[in-house]
Amino acid sequence: MERRNFLKTAILGGIAGAVQLKSNGIMAGEKMTVSSANDLVAVMGGEPAEMYKKGIEAMGGMTRFVKKGNKVVVKPNIGWDKRPEFAANTNPDLVAAIVKDCLAAGASEVTVFDHTCDEWQASYKNSGIEAAAKAAGAKVAFAHDEKYYRNVQLPKGSRLKEAKIHESILDCDVWINVPVLKNHGGARMTIAMKNFMGIVWDRRFWHSNDLQQCIADCSTFSKMPVLNIVDAYRIMTQNGPKGKSIEDVQTPKAIFMSTDIVAVDTAAVRFFAQFRSDMKLEDVSHIGLGEKMNIGTTDIDKLKVERIRIG
Amino acid sequence: MYRFLKKGRVVFSIIFLLIITSSFIFFVNRETLLMSEFLKFQFVPSMLGIFSGGAFVFVLLLALTLLFGRAYCSTLCPLGTYQDIVSRTASLFKSKKNKRYSYDKPFSKLRFGVLLFVGILFIGGISLPLALLDPYSNWGKISNEIISRSEQYIHNGLAAVLPDAIFFRSYANFAIGSFLFALFFLITVTLLSAFKGRLYCNTICPVGSFLGLLSRFAIFKPVIDKETCTKCRLCVINCKSQCIDLDTQTVDESRCVACLNCTVVCKFNSINYKYTWGRNKISVAGNEQTTKIKSEGRRNAMIAMGLMGTALAAKAIKAGPVISSRPKVTGIAPPGAMSIKHLKQNCTACHACVAACPNNIIQPATTEYGIDGILLPVLNFKHHFCSYECNICSQVCPNDALKPLTVKDKQLAQIGQTQFYLEKCIVHTDGTDCGACDEHCPTKAITMVPYGDSGLFIPNMETELCIGCGACEYICPAVPEKAMVVHALSVHQIAAEPTLDKQEKVKVDDFGF
Repeated sequence: MERRNFLKTAILGGIAGAVQLKSNGIMAGEKMTVSSANDLVAVMGGEPAEMYKKGIEAMGGMTRFVKKGNKVVVKPNIGWDKRPEFAANTNPDLVAAIVKDCLAAGASEVTVFDHTCDEWQASYKNSGIEAAAKAAGAKVAFAHDEKYYRNVQLPKGSRLKEAKIHESILDCDVWINVPVLKNHGGARMTIAMKNFMGIVWDRRFWHSNDLQQCIADCSTFSKMPVLNIVDAYRIMTQNGPKGKSIEDVQTPKAIFMSTDIVAVDTAAVRFFAQFRSDMKLEDVSHIGLGEKMNIGTTDIDKLKVERIRIG
Repeated sequence: MYRFLKKGRVVFSIIFLLIITSSFIFFVNRETLLMSEFLKFQFVPSMLGIFSGGAFVFVLLLALTLLFGRAYCSTLCPLGTYQDIVSRTASLFKSKKNKRYSYDKPFSKLRFGVLLFVGILFIGGISLPLALLDPYSNWGKISNEIISRSEQYIHNGLAAVLPDAIFFRSYANFAIGSFLFALFFLITVTLLSAFKGRLYCNTICPVGSFLGLLSRFAIFKPVIDKETCTKCRLCVINCKSQCIDLDTQTVDESRCVACLNCTVVCKFNSINYKYTWGRNKISVAGNEQTTKIKSEGRRNAMIAMGLMGTALAAKAIKAGPVISSRPKVTGIAPPGAMSIKHLKQNCTACHACVAACPNNIIQPATTEYGIDGILLPVLNFKHHFCSYECNICSQVCPNDALKPLTVKDKQLAQIGQTQFYLEKCIVHTDGTDCGACDEHCPTKAITMVPYGDSGLFIPNMETELCIGCGACEYICPAVPEKAMVVHALSVHQIAAEPTLDKQEKVKVDDFGF
């Protein structure tokens, strides 16, 4: 090898090495900030939008989850034709705050939808979510017909091996799961993992093929929400998930956030147990199954948790 | 003046036709129930609803007829207006000779036979013949099955172009029998009106026949002035009821629909609405035959009045169906129907409720109520269930077949009772959690209770709380037979008020983790 060529190579290599080193440094720096962020954030005592603001700050800000130009889906629970005070659906103010924040983080569009149980137009309307989401700048997508769903394989599922999932979820860049905390006659509790029942078309299959296992199976979906935000501003502690009257509702004014869906459900159940001491985590077996399937952890005491109290 | 009146009639009738039709169209009845209020201005609905708010309209329509004859048929009847539009359109394609009408003898035996048949069965508690012949109810079926469905295809076409802005509407609920009947009726009436003007109205239509009999006593009638009439036949050529007889220079007011065409075309103003109360205009002519026709008409009119009186009396004392097929009732009648009997007596299958149901669960019956209940609205929980917060069907019914219920009353109206079949339940057969029925039950007639020592929970049914909304049946995942099945009640009941389940409001300061 000629000396000149050697020098050239050496210099180029050196530059490359330096660049490599530098980018490593950047990466390391990012990793540092990630690992320093909280795994789970719990906020209590404020109004939905204000609790969300404190919570997302503690999670590292929405820009951690939503990048400029991202197509984002915010998936609340809009299962029922019930007004917000009945706690059957996610709080519309919380949904609006999240939508606004996604847009502020640079999202190119934000879509809100749910596969409702009650008649969809009435549910969208009376939940207050359609109006709140639209006012916040989101698009509200239709989800009442099979044509809005596409088939997806769930290779890691044990009972649920494929599902028809809503096109908004399949076509977005990132999605945020925003369930409401309620008791549930079948699944015992309905929180973040159970909220996936609103992104699929055929829910009857789940009910007839080991509901708890199917809920866990659906959380093996490769495109998981980047963030789960549990609305516990109003919670339904009895007669859930639809509820009968305002008597079924307690108003603890809390929200929980985590990237770990199993962890956030665990936290929510433990919070809920303060209202219903008979509610045990192991009875909500889809959460335990989720941990077994490596979706997340129920051992939240080992996580970095930040608890915020307002007022 | 007649020119002005006629223009007014045409404009009014078209607007009214549009209003009636629009109340069957998806977007109108989702946004407002205002249009449905106008359905109450129809003859048969006002008669059926006479004891619950329809009396005013009924008297108004009778008064209108006693004043000007069958003005109803030319202004308020949607089927009449439709036929006029068809005749008018058809005449554009006809030769000059072909588009001329000529005088026809009345088919009195046929029309009064039909009226008698319909009337007697109606008094007997069977509204089916009326349902099949009533012009409003059939226009309802046509609006719902054909016009509204066409609108749906257009809507879904637009939904394909603008998928984000316009939602898709499922075609799942299609009742072939009802569609075919509406189509058959529409084609028949279209052909009749294209070739023979108001032939349907003057031979088959029970409302037309009844009002025709009544219009003999009308205070103002079209009268031909024999002094000035030149028998130029212009009026005859333009009479779509084919009821002007120039040989006797008389207008058969029992068939005249007061369209005013003759008064407009007459060059000599020889045909005019005249005050004829108590005046025996025919006696002047002294024609024996016309006198005979007249007395025959008077007899028929008396019979018709008698029929109507009996019908109303029967309705007043709520007489039951005298003859009725009584198979095991499997059809669940919509809330407000009170009972299958009440529905059969009062419903003329206009399908206003079918069109208005946001969940598309009200469908025209086939055999669910027996043969005399064909086409009546029946609930089907295959694609959805009855919304707890909705009372729209009972609000739009113009007939009083569905009594108007407040949402609160509707939430207690037990239209059926659910039976739980343990041996078909997933929790029992598979040993896994389900609870789909409990999840959907709005009154908590279904609750989940511990199932042995399995750690599982199984549905428990409290029938007195069940309102038969079908949510549990709809969602039950058991195949091929559901574990939750709503059984029809031939007489609706009032369910027990759901318990309040008061709980202590807990205040927590801790997160619990």
